[in-house]
Amino acid sequence: MNDLTFSGMDGVLILSAYAVVMLLIGYFSGRGDKTLHDSMSNYYLAGKNLGFIALFFTLYATQYSGNTIIGYAPTAYRTGFAWLQSITFMTIIIGVYLLFAPRLYVISKKLNFITPADWIDYRFKSKAVTILAVLLMLWGLGNYLLEQLVAIGQAASSLTGGTIPYQVAVIAFVLVMLIYEWLGGMKAVAFTDVMQGLVLMVGIVIFLAGAVYLVGGNFAGATQFIAETEPAKLGVPEMMTSVNWLSMILLVGFGAAIYPHAVQRIFAAESERTLKRSFSRMAWMPPITTGLVFIIGILGIALIPNLDVAGSEQLVGLMANEIAGINGFFYWVMIIFFGAIVAAIVSTADSVLLSFSSIVSNDIYGRFINPNAPERKKVLVGKVTGIFAVAILLWIAWYPPATLYEIFVLKFELLVQVFPAFVLGLYWKRMAAQPVFWGMLTGAIIAGVLTWTGHKTIFGVHGGVIGLAANFLIAVVGSYLVTVTVTEEEEEDLKKIDLAYRREYSD
Amino acid sequence: MDNKPIKEPIRKKWIWIVLVLIVLGNVPWYMPAGSYEPLILGIPYWAWIIVGFSLLLCAYLSWATLKHWNIVEDIEEEEKRRKANE
Repeated sequence: MNDLTFSGMDGVLILSAYAVVMLLIGYFSGRGDKTLHDSMSNYYLAGKNLGFIALFFTLYATQYSGNTIIGYAPTAYRTGFAWLQSITFMTIIIGVYLLFAPRLYVISKKLNFITPADWIDYRFKSKAVTILAVLLMLWGLGNYLLEQLVAIGQAASSLTGGTIPYQVAVIAFVLVMLIYEWLGGMKAVAFTDVMQGLVLMVGIVIFLAGAVYLVGGNFAGATQFIAETEPAKLGVPEMMTSVNWLSMILLVGFGAAIYPHAVQRIFAAESERTLKRSFSRMAWMPPITTGLVFIIGILGIALIPNLDVAGSEQLVGLMANEIAGINGFFYWVMIIFFGAIVAAIVSTADSVLLSFSSIVSNDIYGRFINPNAPERKKVLVGKVTGIFAVAILLWIAWYPPATLYEIFVLKFELLVQVFPAFVLGLYWKRMAAQPVFWGMLTGAIIAGVLTWTGHKTIFGVHGGVIGLAANFLIAVVGSYLVTVTVTEEEEEDLKKIDLAYRREYSD
Repeated sequence: MDNKPIKEPIRKKWIWIVLVLIVLGNVPWYMPAGSYEPLILGIPYWAWIIVGFSLLLCAYLSWATLKHWNIVEDIEEEEKRRKANE
């Protein structure tokens, strides 16, 4: 995306404006709250008191990144109408939430959970299970963060036509992110998400409007062109693609719903009503987010035909370039839009980083290294480790991988293996720690080996899904086979998560 | 405290059966591969069906979330009101 007509300084100006707004929001959300840095719940979960607007937008801005645009439009360009699946797999995440969020919310409030591992630890009381789950989660989060850092640099340097080089862009925005996150924790993350989510929503709509203008408002003409040149992109996909589509629904649905930062938003909700209303609105976001991005990609086929894989990755930049050329209005709107993409990437990265820090604070330092440390120290350790983690990832990001979508699938493969323990454990008392551990480990090994040996899918099914099936099988059959002697104390703990006993322990 | 039964989605099997059916309808495995005509308003016939199922999925999940999930809401809202009145 190096040849934008944007003159560099205009882009720099808009990006700086976004950066300043984010810093201001971070400053004001942390100001006046003296207990913010003394309590993990306050710093990492905004005191478990997020209201509807903040909760909805933080769910939205975290789930939809700038990558949703820069990565998905090219995929629609390359695969054609089969990419309608991006609407389904983003929607199904809400369905998976519905499997476990209602009960987990109640339990997390009662037992004051900070991280997902708090739940795993409470349920299975097994160091092995907790450590493995924590490692898988950190791996998934680290990879996810890396992907966002790469994307920040690409988006910012292309917006400014290279006036801001890739490395400078990454460092500048990472610094902004670190500063506002340090100042305000989850509050800063959620409130910046309101701004970042809004500009993303509006940006997509205006971008689409520009693209429609360029094809002369004639969508049918665009698809007619595709029918004449590349009919395969219009046709019903082959059976293998349909299987892959279904596999993608399972992988993203299960994976994205139990992302640590996604789960922590359940913990951070002010009330059940707030959480319900946020999810219910979120269920409608895929058509107006990934759905519109899909249309942008399809219009791209007609506007800029015959791009190869590497060329198509530049699609959004190329289209922005043409849209900006329409007139002065669209020129400025495109600059603001590209700033919005950068902001949207930052808004995803900040949530991931916060979650990463919280796991280090609570699950590694607080659980295993220094359980008796004051909370203020635990928070501090998480914050500092987060900065080190970002530094290491930045070093990796210096050599960005070729296409964005590849890493997107990779991060789910291992993370999704936490799902059986996490969700089955909620409802099935018999589920035992040992089989859960071996299931999780086997699933992770299968997923990892298949991915690393280049077998990302087998007959269209993702390695992560195959690993998950094995994982479920081992955890379930194993739990039937092992006889566990449950102590009285454990029996009491299990009762606490059984809603039938809710009233007894809540009184 | 009243004894109004709580609503938890996991306990209602039909929610999940309907969800699986909608998802199965949302993947075009049941249509002839490669076909795209007729184009309606420039959109292949099968894409209309998939988009229809996608919107149905959104509506269904949005509705199920609001109407079939109520565990501690009444207690929490009651408490909120009480605090506000103090």
